[in-house]
This record gives sequence, structure tokens and C-alpha cells, in this order.
Amino acid sequence: MGDTQLSIAITGAGGAGVISCGELLLKAWARCGGRGLLRKAFGPQIRGGEAAALLKFTDHERYTAAGRYDIIVALDWVNFDRFQDEIIAGPDTVVICEDSERIPASLRGLPVIHHAFAQLASSSHPEGRMNMVAAGLLGHLLRLPMSALLEQALAKLANKPEAYRDGARACIASGYAASKDIDRPLPARDASGAWCLTGNQAAGFGALSAGVRFAAAYPITPASDALEWLAGGLEAVGGHLMQAEDELAAINMTIGAAFGGVPAFTATSGPGLALMSESLGLAVASETPLTLLNVMRGGPSTGIPTKSEQADLDIALHGLHGDAPHLVLAALDIPDCASATAWAVQLAQALQVPAIVLSDQFLGQSTAVVAPPRLPAALAAAEPTPSTTDEYLRYRLTASGVSTLAHPGDADARYTADGLEHNERGTPSARASDHREQLDKRRRKLESFDYGPDWGRCVGKGDTALVSFGSASAALDEAAARLAEQGAPVRTVALRLLSPLPVSGLELALAGCSRVVVVEQNHSAQLYHYLKGRLDLPLESLAIPGPVPLNPHTIAEAVGARQDA
Amino acid sequence: MTLHTELATFLAHSLALESEARERYLELSESLAAHHNGDAAAFFQRMACEAGQHLEEVAELAGDHVLPQLQPWEYAWPDPEAPESASYEALHYRMSLVEAMHLALHKEQDAAAYYRQVASDSLCSETRRVAAGFAAEEEQHAAALQTMIAQLDEPAEHHRLDEDDPQLPA
Amino acid sequence: MNEPIAVSPKSFKSAVKPIWCPGCGHFSVLNAITKAMAALAIDKDNSVLVSGIGCSSRLPAYVDAYGFHGVHGRGLAVAQGLKVARPELTVIALGGDGDGFSIGGNHFLHACRRNVNLVYIAMDNEVYGMTKGQASPTTPMDWDHSKLTPHGPGVRPFKPAAIALAAGAPWIARAYSGNPNQMAKLIAEAIEFEGFSFIHVLSQCITFCPEQTDWKAIVHERSEPPLDSADLAARLFLADDGFATGLLYREPRATWPPPLHIHKNKNKNENEALAALAAAFAAQ
Repeated sequence: MGDTQLSIAITGAGGAGVISCGELLLKAWARCGGRGLLRKAFGPQIRGGEAAALLKFTDHERYTAAGRYDIIVALDWVNFDRFQDEIIAGPDTVVICEDSERIPASLRGLPVIHHAFAQLASSSHPEGRMNMVAAGLLGHLLRLPMSALLEQALAKLANKPEAYRDGARACIASGYAASKDIDRPLPARDASGAWCLTGNQAAGFGALSAGVRFAAAYPITPASDALEWLAGGLEAVGGHLMQAEDELAAINMTIGAAFGGVPAFTATSGPGLALMSESLGLAVASETPLTLLNVMRGGPSTGIPTKSEQADLDIALHGLHGDAPHLVLAALDIPDCASATAWAVQLAQALQVPAIVLSDQFLGQSTAVVAPPRLPAALAAAEPTPSTTDEYLRYRLTASGVSTLAHPGDADARYTADGLEHNERGTPSARASDHREQLDKRRRKLESFDYGPDWGRCVGKGDTALVSFGSASAALDEAAARLAEQGAPVRTVALRLLSPLPVSGLELALAGCSRVVVVEQNHSAQLYHYLKGRLDLPLESLAIPGPVPLNPHTIAEAVGARQDA
Repeated sequence: MTLHTELATFLAHSLALESEARERYLELSESLAAHHNGDAAAFFQRMACEAGQHLEEVAELAGDHVLPQLQPWEYAWPDPEAPESASYEALHYRMSLVEAMHLALHKEQDAAAYYRQVASDSLCSETRRVAAGFAAEEEQHAAALQTMIAQLDEPAEHHRLDEDDPQLPA
Repeated sequence: MNEPIAVSPKSFKSAVKPIWCPGCGHFSVLNAITKAMAALAIDKDNSVLVSGIGCSSRLPAYVDAYGFHGVHGRGLAVAQGLKVARPELTVIALGGDGDGFSIGGNHFLHACRRNVNLVYIAMDNEVYGMTKGQASPTTPMDWDHSKLTPHGPGVRPFKPAAIALAAGAPWIARAYSGNPNQMAKLIAEAIEFEGFSFIHVLSQCITFCPEQTDWKAIVHERSEPPLDSADLAARLFLADDGFATGLLYREPRATWPPPLHIHKNKNKNENEALAALAAAFAAQ
């Protein structure tokens, strides 16, 4: 793992444009072969509120939120306190601001570089903006060519008035010229062929690549942008996206399209998943394939919609009524949002079952420079054993549990899909034998399927293992690197497939461990309890709720301290 | 009601009347069978058979004619439904055999009345002749039913009451 | 045998026999649906009946076509997703008054305004039959037969036709279970209408509302042609007794998806389109 990195937080309020500034810098950096991550933090206002662009430039792609910021740029200090949990300064942090009188207490005593942003902006051009001054200034610090900054700025402002673009150009130039050097090593810029995208966009791309041609959408933070990307994406490949009146409609529209034989998708976040869960039970019982991306946020209830947490694991695994086996997957990183979603679509279609893909606000809404996602090869179709009768039996009992799925339009296979328990033909039945056989069938098709080695990512060696799922894995990898440096190597296991739980794979990966620490970003240790019920291993829990991203430092210290104790 | 001036139109109506009667009696029979009212179910099954026989006779007669193709709502019935179609809504799961017979009797009488009216009012003599034959047949059915009804006791006034509450569905 | 029409309605019945109470109005709706499908010689393989939960929602299993029996209140959502994904199919959604106007009320409103080309048959018996006779949104205020509302629901009944109109439905009819032939005609017209066509069926519940046998005397067929302006229809729906049957309102309007949503380059190579989407992510 490379270890050169530079973190920059840019804050401002009232439409100062700090997010645009961050995006411009990341894109220009990426254009020049650099790797990096942009997270966004906001106040509650729709417009004009305080905002922070949180940049991290690295020489690797295992992105975690920065624990400390090397440079803090404040276009103003309005409500900076709102970010004080997240924008942490270290002893070497440099503060760049206009108004040093109002530096908050938490940052006092740090070296300060003054820049008269407002004055530089207005003197550069009548339409000049501070954020573009900051972009020029930071671009220079990052040793980016001015041309790269201008190229990105003009691309971003293509639809703005010409005078506005002239203003941006002038401000970038004056910021660039005014920049004072800070002696910090920069990560290497040697990436080629990289992509720059959010996890939500990646998930949409993965769904589309795996054949999704229908999506139903009800807006919810932080999942909406996956659906927004798909609206255009589906149109491009000849599919449809329907905006639904609520999540209840969204999941049922998805089920309707899927029943029609069109691979179908929806995305939501915790509260929406709760609303959809009744109909997920219907999809399980009627054996209707669909893929649902759940971008987790702080909960319960409206919770903290703009912040990340991994607290929907319980509802994703256990939130359905009745005995309702289904697939639950988790994306480990931003490109994996594409890979895991594509895999989920393939599995859902092959096994005729709903698949929930867990992502979270951190993965979904952060923009990162990554190698192009590795999409899974097409699954070999699980062909049911041939029927011995001419009659079409929708829910025929087969060795694999998978029965032939006919679609409207298929000749001589007419049947009624049913959420009522049914017999093989699909006729409603309350008989004990039918219920038992169909329960067994629905479980068998998931449990007897060979998911291969993609169930998780296992790295390293050591008597201690750190187990996680989803986005926590990057923090664990970083924590593991720190522990290795301290002479206490650990292995990490990150789960991509959560249900059915790959028990034998996990047992093999964790064989011989004297400690297995289950790390997750929630309060009630949901993964820990889930694993504890299924694995006979010395499990410990390290559960840390959001909204602050998991900090590798904290994890390494907690694991190390317990080791010493 | 339009009076059928052409035999083919009348035969089309007769076919529909008998075929709907047969189907309806079958449905009523199946519905009552599913609700364990065996007597009434068996009775409606027999009525379906009778209607089926009549249907065959009509079909044989109609075989020589080119009949108009009418949609269900294009028939000129005196009532919304074909005269011999017993209303779905007249059924009850605890209806007695006698009540089932009364229901069928009304339908046979309706059918007879329909045929009788065509027999008296149609401008086409052949239509009048055929309709009179059909009317006689329905009247015969009705008379037979009346005889059977006379031999049976009327049910107790409250025989439809069920001491149990309605059940939750299976 | 010389059957009266070319395709027999009976051939549209499945092998599954209805378990509705003898005397239930829903038999008549099943009769009308099979008659309409036969009249139009509908391709069974390309038609789907979609329902929610309730007595009426059991209907798809009784028809020899594809069917989807979903969860309570969501049939319309399933039907719309299906129709948008597979526009060539004939899609008929159906359900009861509780399913469509209470738990599924929001979907009803939005299906009316979205105007996806499908048929929606609401079989209204003013009661929750399957859960043993509780008041539904269309139950009279003073109906005191339910233990749950022993003094009557005390709530003004929902007016399905008026609400459909206000929500933007372009085609609104009312039918009565005592007249399956008229209902069949309306269903056939609804299938052929380009847009969301709503049929409100007064369908009696013999078990919980035996008083509904009186409907026979109240129902009256509206003989005038359908109204073609919403303001006149509003007056009709709000002022009448709710028992006028026939096609009451017809005012075609643009369906969903609108032409812009229907893919512009239908013949474009999907792989090329995906490659173009991927290229937009390229950082360098």
C-alpha cells in the first residue's frame, strides 16, 4: 500500500461553490493520472447552506475518509462548527483563509496562510467567484497544469453565460498566481485508463451492464442519484425508468416488469426499504427476480439522511415477514458498487429471487478515481432438470430448487404467480405438504447454488482477523496495514455475499484465528450478532455508529489495545 | 325487445340462451358443490344436462343456417341476461333443494315466456313455428319442476341461518 | 357444435374453480371478463390479469391467461410496471374497494393521472369480505353491521368515479354485477381504449351486505353517450346517486410513457450504448 496522501477540506456557505471547486480539482487531478476521493458534507439547507468538499489524494484506490486534513481552506467560517466532528486538524495542518480573526477554537494555533479570496475574485473579473480563486490556488499546490484546471472548469461551466466562464478563467489564473507553496509530498500520478464516478453511478452502470432494462424510482437521499443516472442510462439502451408515487409502488412496478420478463431494478435507502419489505416477501413467494440497491444512511426514521452508516443490515437480512430466503450482497468499494450490483442482477435472475445490494452514503455519493469496474462474467444459466410431464408447472420441485420461469407471451405456459402459498402448479394451497415443499424449494435454490470465490475478499495473514462487510472493508484494510507496521499482522475478511452466508468459505478463511473482530459502522453490532449465530469462532465486536466515517486509526488502536490487554 | 323476423337471428338467440343456461347451471352447481351443498349442486348439474340436451337440438336445427355472429351484449333479451340464465346473485350456500328448484323454475318459465312471445309475435311464420316448439319444451320442463316441487317440503323459515360466524378464508 | 360465437367465453376459464360465496357478484365479473376476452378473441398468451388481495383479487387464477396475484393494494403498481415493460401485452388490473380505494388509494390516484394503457376493474361491494365484513371506504356512514364499527364507520363514502375523474382518468365506466353482458361490453371497450380505463363495478356481497340485493331495483343504465368534458362529468359524478351504469366519461389524453420516453434510437446497438455510457466515466 502506498502511503503518500494529501487531504484537503474546503468549506464555505451561502452558495460559495466549494463542491464545484472540489469536483474541479478532483477531475483535473484525475485527468493528470492522479487518484483521489471527493466526499461532500452539507448543512440542512437546500440552497445557500454551509458545505464542505472533502478531498483526499492518494497513490492507491482503497479509499477511506481522511482522518485528518493536511489543508483546510475556509472561504468563510459560517457554521464551520457543523463540520467539527469530521474536519479534524493534525499538528501539521495548514489553514488557508481570508478571515483569521474568526478561526474556530479547534483550529487555533495552526499555521495560517491568508488569502483575500473575495478581493482576488472581484479584482480578477466582475463575475469572479472565490471558489475559482481557491481552485487555482489549490491547483497550483497540487502542481496541476493550469490547462487541466481550465479544461475542467470550462467543461463544468459549459452551460453558463460566457461572462461567467470568463470570470472563472480569470479567477483560476489569479488564484494560481497567488498560491504560496506548501511543502507537502504529493502522491504519484501514474493511473491510466481510470474512471471517475460515484458508487451510485457505478451501481446503475452495473445494473445496466447485467441486463436491467426497467427501473422504478421514488426519490430518497442518498439513493436518488443512482436512479437519476439510470434514467439516462436506461433511455440510452432502450429501457424505461418510471417514477413511482411511493416506495410501495416502486417495488411493485419493479415486480410487474420482472414478471414480464424484463430484468428490473429499484434503489432506495433504509426507510424506503422498510416500506418495500412486504413486497419483497411477495417477490420471494412468487419467485420473481429483482434487484434492489439500498444505499444506507443514518437511521432509524429520517435519521441522518446525508451521512453514512451500516445499520440496515438487520432489516436487509431479517426484515421480511415469514420464512423468506433472499439474496443480500454488499459492495465493498466504489467500483464494486458496479460489480456487486451486476452480480446481484445475475444471481437474482438465475435464482428467481429478490436480491438486496447494500451500499451506503459514503460509497454512493463519494466521487473517486478508480480502475474500471471488473464486471462478472455471465452466469451459466441454472437449467432446471427436465420436466417429466407436458404440463407447465411454474413452481415445479426440482433438485436445484429452480423451476422454469415462463413469461407472458410464452405459449402454453399460462399460470398465475402467487404470493399465496401454492402447489407446484401455482394454485393456492394451505396444505402442510405444499407449504413445506415450497419453503424447502425456495431455500434450496439459494443454498445449493455455488457462488464461487466472489463471496468476499480475504487479505493477509495473522492470528487475528478483522471481519467486515461493505464499505467498512477499506477502513479495515488500512487498519490492518497500520497493525502490520506495528508488528501485529492481521488478516481481513470483507463479505460481499451476506445471505446466504458463505459459512464454509468463512470458516476456511478464518481457520486457526485466535481472535475474530467483527467491525461495522452501526450501534447494535448487527453483523457480529448475525455471524455469532452461525459461526463457531472466537468473535469479538467493534461496532461504531455513524455519522463520522470509520476511522482506520481508531480501529487499529482498538484492536491493538485489546490485544495488549 | 325486437321480434326476430328472421329464423337465423332467432336461432342465434336460442343457441345463446341454451348455451348460457348450461354454463350458468354448471357454475352454480360447482359453486354450491364447493360449499358442500350437495343436493342443490346435483340438481343444478341435472339442469345443466337438460339445457345441454336442448342446446344440442337447437344446434342441430341451426346447422343448416348461416347464423349472425352476435356479441353477448348484442342479443335482444327482455332482461339484462339471457332468459334461462339464473342470476349468480340468487344463490345462497345454504339454499335448500326446493329453493334451487324454484330458481330454476323461474328461469324455465322465463325461457318459455320468451319463446312463447316470439311464437306469437314474430313476423316470420317459420320462426313462429320453431319458437312454439321450444316454448312447449320449456313449459314441459317447468311443469316437471312444479311437480317435483310439490312433492317436497318447503324449508323451515330460518334454514339459511348459520350459527357460526363467517370463516376466515383458506 | 354450433356455438353462438366464434370463441367461447368458457375457453377463457381456467381449471381452478372459484371459491367465492354462492351469490357473490364477482362471479358475474368473471363471466363478463371471459365474455369480453372471447368477443375480442384476445390472445391468452399475451394477456395478464393482475390483482391485489381480497375476495375479488382471487379472480386471475380463474382465468386462462397469465396472472399475478400480489399483495394487498399494490396490484395497480404491478400492472403499470408490467405494461410499461411489455407494452404489447393486454393488461387488466382488478381488485376490491378496500384494496383499491383504501390501502391502494394512492396507487389509484396516480394510475389515473399517469394514464398507462391498461384496464382497471374495481369490484366494489362496500365491505372487506375476506377479513369478515369490516367497513370499507365505500361503506355507507351508518352501516352498523361490523363489530369493528358498531355504530357505523361514520365517515363519508369515497366516490370512486368522482375521484378517478379528479385524478385525471380519461375513461370511466360503471357496471353492475346483475348485468354481466353490459359489463362485458364495457370491458371490451376498455381493453380497446388507448389509456387508463376505469370500470367501477357494483358487485354485491351476499354474505356481509345482503341488503345489496336491493341494488337491482336502484341501478339504472345511463343511455346518453359518454360525457367528453371533465366539468360536466364532475357534475354527474358528484350529483348522481352512484348507480348510473354505462360508459360515463371518455376524454382521451396522452398516455405514459410519452413519446420522448420511448427510446429514440430503438435500433441502436445495446453494447455500443453501454460503451458510450462507460466512456463518459473515463477520467483521462
